[in-house]
Amino acid sequence: MSTVMIELEKVTKIYGQGDKRVVALADVSLQIKKGEIFGIIGLSGAGKSTLIRCINKLEEPQAGTIRLAGQEITNLQGKELRAARRKIGMIFQHFNLLSSRTVFRNVAFPLEISGVKPKEREERVRSLLDLVGLADKINAYPSELSGGQKQRVGIARALASNPEVLLCDEATSALDPDTTKSILRLLQDVNRRFGLTIVLITHQMEVIKEICDTVAVIDDGRIVEQGSVVELFARPRSAAARRFMKGVLHTEIPPEIQERMSAEGPRQQHGKTVRISFIGGMAGQPIISSVIRRFQVDVNILYANLDFIKNMPFGSLIVEITGDEANVARALADLTAQGLKLEVLAGVGPDS
Amino acid sequence: MWAQILNATIETVYMVGVALVLSALFGIPLGILLVITGPRHIKPLPVIHRSLSVVINVGRSLPFIILLVAIIPFTRWLVGTSIGTTGAIVPLTVSAIPFMARVVETALLEVDWGVIEAAQAMGASTQQIITKVLIPEAIPGLVLGVTMVAVSLISYSAMAGAVGGGGLGDLAIRYGYQRFRGDIMLITVLVLVAMVQSIQSFGGWLASRLNHR
Repeated sequence: MSTVMIELEKVTKIYGQGDKRVVALADVSLQIKKGEIFGIIGLSGAGKSTLIRCINKLEEPQAGTIRLAGQEITNLQGKELRAARRKIGMIFQHFNLLSSRTVFRNVAFPLEISGVKPKEREERVRSLLDLVGLADKINAYPSELSGGQKQRVGIARALASNPEVLLCDEATSALDPDTTKSILRLLQDVNRRFGLTIVLITHQMEVIKEICDTVAVIDDGRIVEQGSVVELFARPRSAAARRFMKGVLHTEIPPEIQERMSAEGPRQQHGKTVRISFIGGMAGQPIISSVIRRFQVDVNILYANLDFIKNMPFGSLIVEITGDEANVARALADLTAQGLKLEVLAGVGPDS
Repeated sequence: MWAQILNATIETVYMVGVALVLSALFGIPLGILLVITGPRHIKPLPVIHRSLSVVINVGRSLPFIILLVAIIPFTRWLVGTSIGTTGAIVPLTVSAIPFMARVVETALLEVDWGVIEAAQAMGASTQQIITKVLIPEAIPGLVLGVTMVAVSLISYSAMAGAVGGGGLGDLAIRYGYQRFRGDIMLITVLVLVAMVQSIQSFGGWLASRLNHR
């Protein structure tokens, strides 16, 4: 699990010249481990698409090196480049299936171009279509399939040549939420089954949250943050990461509660409205009831949310803590001491 | 009269048929070359692309009737005569090649770039992309394009008749017009209309059958 599969070193890609010069990637360095699902998130125009396309040299960077399983991709040409590309599967936002070919012949395409014998081809295609659950569509044309089915064909085609790496270029962006989930599950399945290294780019934090092990946040051609997904959700350091998080984790205070807070304020003299964020094992402990018991305060839960990031519970609570001023302060100190992230949203008291 | 009309029809079919096959033989590869050497395509070669484009434009800008007489020496050198149906096939082919090349270009540029890129990502060579992606994906457009060239060739072949090329056009001019035979004029026109109609419907039918988009 710990050997490096893909390594980018100071990769720079510039489009255009003079006034129209756009820096798509600026000194990007990344290490992607073998067998992991590595997500790259960024807004459109942030450079993520350029980044993933550099990995199989669909785009050629001006500077920097990219190594895949120890082999330098950046200086490959012609035949060698084609051979290296056969070890890298790729799926696309708009699927990019050949409309003139049936599902069978689409999946057979990579085998055909690498000279696999027809009989062997047929066996391989059938087993791949079983894997992606489309055995019954073998003779259908892409135009007869739904978006999710097309992407399944895309995945089968990408896996046909037994790649070591699968690149996913916004693979779920054109799909509805349910289909997105099922495609992500399929990707996770092939990741586990074949130990396939998956690199995916997306603008949807949901996708990162659902299946990625490691994430890099790209903003304006630069990697502004990278690390484990759980770590990113717990402690986002960059503004870009926080922006992406908002939509997914519902860390925004719902408008109803905001209204209530501004209309009434805490009902008692020494109350505070606090947001408590927690991650991992804390979710299983009776934190609130213990605080109530030990510090003789009242806790009124205004809002609660629990989510899972790769099976790790993650959530936030908005509570109103009221009682004796010193007790409230002690309660808050205790919660902080337990490793919870506290944020005072409103309230009167010595430190408000 | 009917024997003359039948004979002229056969001559037209022969001229158009041979010119169509020959122009496809030269025009389709030229069209492919024109597309793939273009900027940002699979084999960018600016010099070849630009020169090819200029030559094709020159060919396209010459009115057929001018080309017909202008290349008489070439025609005579190539097939030994500049008159008759064989003499007409040369200028017909020469004028249809650049037309064919442009038609092929249009059809190939319609192919979704994403599909070409997917093939590149899978490690396909330039030749494999041409034969397994570009052409099969463009087939419906190519069929419609060839149909269009065939229809133009029929109308050009009537002009070739004016310089002794034979065929329906020749018959219509010599009998229908110069000898005031309204009946022959009418029948030739009807035969030409029927020919164009059937080629167009056949081409349209075939293109839609081959279209899986």
